[in-house]
Amino acid sequence: MSLQNLIMNLQRYWADQGCYLAPSYDLEVGAGTMTPDTFFRVLDKRAWKVAYVQPSRRPTDGRYGENPHRVQKHHQFQVIIKPAPADIQKIYIDSLTALGINLEDHDLRFDEDDWESPTIGAWGVGWQVMLDGLEITQFTYFQQAGGLEVFPTPIEITYGLERLEMFLEEKDSFYDLKWSEDVSYRELRFEEERQFSDYNFNQATVRSLREWFSLAEKEAEQLIAKNLLLPAYDMCLKCSHFFNLLDSRGAISVTERVKMIAQIRALVNQVALKYAGGEGKS
Amino acid sequence: MEFLLEINVEEMPSSHVKTALSDLKEKLTRELEAAKIPIRDLRVYSTCRRLVVFADLAEGQEAREETVTGPPKAVAFAADGTPTPAALGFARSRGIDVGKLEIIRTEKGEYVGFKKIEKGKGAGEILAKVVPEVIGSLSFPKMMRWGEGQFRFSRPIRSLLCLLGGTVVPFELDGLASSDTTTGHKIRSPQKITVKSFQEYKDALKDNMVIIDADERKKNILAQIDNLLTPLKAQLYPDPGLLEKLANDVECPFVFMGSIPEQYLSLPLEILSTAMREGQKLFSVVRGKKQIPYFLGLADAPSDAKGFIQKGNERVLRARLEDAKFFWEHDLKKSLKKRAPALKHVLFQEKLGSYDDKTQRLKKIVAYLCHKGEDCRDEKDAIMAAELCKTDLVTDMVREFPSLQGKVGGLYAKAEGLPAAVSQAIYEHYQPVSLEDESPSSPGGTVLSVADKLDSIVGVVGIGIQTTGSSDPFGLRRNAQGVCKIILDRKLNFSFQRLLEKVLTVYGDKLKRPKKEILDYCREFFLNRLRYICERRGYRYDLINAALGVGIDNIHYSFMRVKALDALKASPQFEPFILMAKRVNNILSGQPACGAVNADLLTEKQERDLFSTFSIIKENVIPMIAKGDFSQAQTIVFRLQPCLNDFFDHVLVMAEENKLRKNRLALLQAISKILTQMADYSQVVVEGEKPGAKK
Repeated sequence: MSLQNLIMNLQRYWADQGCYLAPSYDLEVGAGTMTPDTFFRVLDKRAWKVAYVQPSRRPTDGRYGENPHRVQKHHQFQVIIKPAPADIQKIYIDSLTALGINLEDHDLRFDEDDWESPTIGAWGVGWQVMLDGLEITQFTYFQQAGGLEVFPTPIEITYGLERLEMFLEEKDSFYDLKWSEDVSYRELRFEEERQFSDYNFNQATVRSLREWFSLAEKEAEQLIAKNLLLPAYDMCLKCSHFFNLLDSRGAISVTERVKMIAQIRALVNQVALKYAGGEGKS
Repeated sequence: MEFLLEINVEEMPSSHVKTALSDLKEKLTRELEAAKIPIRDLRVYSTCRRLVVFADLAEGQEAREETVTGPPKAVAFAADGTPTPAALGFARSRGIDVGKLEIIRTEKGEYVGFKKIEKGKGAGEILAKVVPEVIGSLSFPKMMRWGEGQFRFSRPIRSLLCLLGGTVVPFELDGLASSDTTTGHKIRSPQKITVKSFQEYKDALKDNMVIIDADERKKNILAQIDNLLTPLKAQLYPDPGLLEKLANDVECPFVFMGSIPEQYLSLPLEILSTAMREGQKLFSVVRGKKQIPYFLGLADAPSDAKGFIQKGNERVLRARLEDAKFFWEHDLKKSLKKRAPALKHVLFQEKLGSYDDKTQRLKKIVAYLCHKGEDCRDEKDAIMAAELCKTDLVTDMVREFPSLQGKVGGLYAKAEGLPAAVSQAIYEHYQPVSLEDESPSSPGGTVLSVADKLDSIVGVVGIGIQTTGSSDPFGLRRNAQGVCKIILDRKLNFSFQRLLEKVLTVYGDKLKRPKKEILDYCREFFLNRLRYICERRGYRYDLINAALGVGIDNIHYSFMRVKALDALKASPQFEPFILMAKRVNNILSGQPACGAVNADLLTEKQERDLFSTFSIIKENVIPMIAKGDFSQAQTIVFRLQPCLNDFFDHVLVMAEENKLRKNRLALLQAISKILTQMADYSQVVVEGEKPGAKK
């Protein structure tokens, strides 16, 4: 039992369901939803099946490695299937069985929890999936992205890998998990959490962050004008990350916060509109 | 004939299930009635995965006799009684033998025609059309699409079982065909089950781990809870909403008990129970008002034979309590006062500024209320509470458990050793959160809660955000009801108008809407909320309108006026008095003000009697009205009725002579002036008058 086993099992299972196994995206994102493999692919009308591991950064969740289950970078296993099959709930339940969980001995519940991301103008209807009281998955029927209705409706299944592994290994702390037989989560991640928490909360230079934010914003604008939507969207992701860092530095005032989110959303919305309209393709 | 419908869905929120069931029942009944299908019985059942209707219906529309009329008798038959071509043609076109034609007498004369029995449509045919329409018409606060369909519902519909008398009522909904199958419990028994009747359906589901009756589930849950708690001599920390929700969320209820490590029991009960409720939806177990080291949880499972469910929940809860304990200890390292500056960075509303801005306003409003209301004498404590009441928004505890805002602040203030009046006021200042909730119990909590809510209302109204039927993003209705409830519960006595003006002044030039508009809107808004509260308490609408119709500047008094009318509505003097008051009203309508009464000009005995009685009554009643004792004032004013009666019987108000007429009108105006301090009697509906004529 280890995190990498869990990942391999999920990859095997969803590949068998016809998903393409995407590499993790190489920019800082807050969630698997934000990467192009989800964001762009839910916007068009074509069928799509993808699964991937996405390291997800939430700077304000940093705890210097001192909290057993809160980290500024965690790992999601993201699945998108469009259109959502009618028996998707069963397919998902079977994925847990495939991990060796005998559900007859446990309590699996779909608990109302609609999901929303204001920065990328996305929301969906769904549940948090609870296994014996532990939230292991977010199960969402996507309704909107980039401010646009999405159709046909994709299903997004996001497993929280650390939590699920905690369940499998019956551990109380992320840091006690095994990544592989020989390497522990602590060995890999503790120092990273400690150092990044200090960076996120104390050391990041606010003036630089602001500058980078506006540079990325300008870059996004000029790329949108040229219909280079994929790089433009990357710039939006950078804006979002710089914004998150500014937030964890406590550098954003009341009105500024609302304004910055609106700025990013407006850019993302332009990208989505152009993409859905078929612009930007060769 | 037995009708059974099951809409099988993915887990619906319990609030959606509730409205869907009542809508389903109402709409189906309405449609069947419209289609003239008699309903002998109709019931609804539900779990989060199924909406079920069971009904006993007639087999179809009742057969009815229909008369088909043809040409007039004179045209249809020749003098000798033989049918003319007109009669033959009519009979042929209707496919009936001409010999079967009868004479039909109508108001316009005699015609030929025949009677036929219209058999009526079968229930199945009607249901096949009506059921998909009704399902399609259900609406929810938030709706979704799924897969490739355009259909919208609360959550995806996965199968439709629809039977009439044991056979499938055929229809399609967004590509999904009705059938005679359902499925059992999603994990334990997911296979397809075919059924022919409601009894079979209910039994089959029970065998497959599903109880479809919410009341039965609730009873089952309560019995299990009782079994576990009785030996411990313990109780659940009351949380009726949670039980309601959980009874919806599980199909196969199993209550399990877990334990809490001793080291967390020192946390306040509010925090412990919230940590349990939020996330895992566990029940906190108390003895008296103290948490004991157990919790209860509800699983959707037949049992927990291996103890995995209990152990898993214990592990998750331990982590949450560890967090809570960390937050508690960590938060206490920084005093609330030191946290205050951070409120500058917490947004209250974009145009209304930060919570620091709100805090500054609250201090001023609270100071004003301490002077005006006699309720709160200790201004210093109240202002300190105002200064600190929002600081818990920047604690880790409230970030983790937002529903505990206010309470956490109060608990920290207490732990810091601030005066009890301060911590209590902070603790209570969001109360009441609903009309069922308690108003703050302390004077400080009372003024702070009123100030906080009014600040929000005036501010949000002042920047032009409209509260409409379904949209109330800032909870203004709840806030206004809270203010009214506090005023009524605590019998607060102050001018509402001046308080609104004070809040406006405190806002300075931040609000763009003209002041008068804001004041008018707020007054109307509160009038409606107050009316709603009175209606909910069961008062007659016309009495409410009468009592509130003369103003709500003093909200407490206006409610006392409602109560006075209500208390006296059954007394024998009530109706004659109301009729008399209406008469006074009618005669005065359109008359200019006639000044003071001149006693020397009262020529008739009856008007002199009226004047002297009135003078005595007035003297008695004015201080009662000032004290808000409307019941007694009203009883005394009743005594005017016989004098007024005599007056109207013997004295001509509209006398020829100008001086006399003006004087008599002046007398009635003086009386009316007192009456309108108690109610607008013209709004009261009395027997003999058409109800609803005035509303």
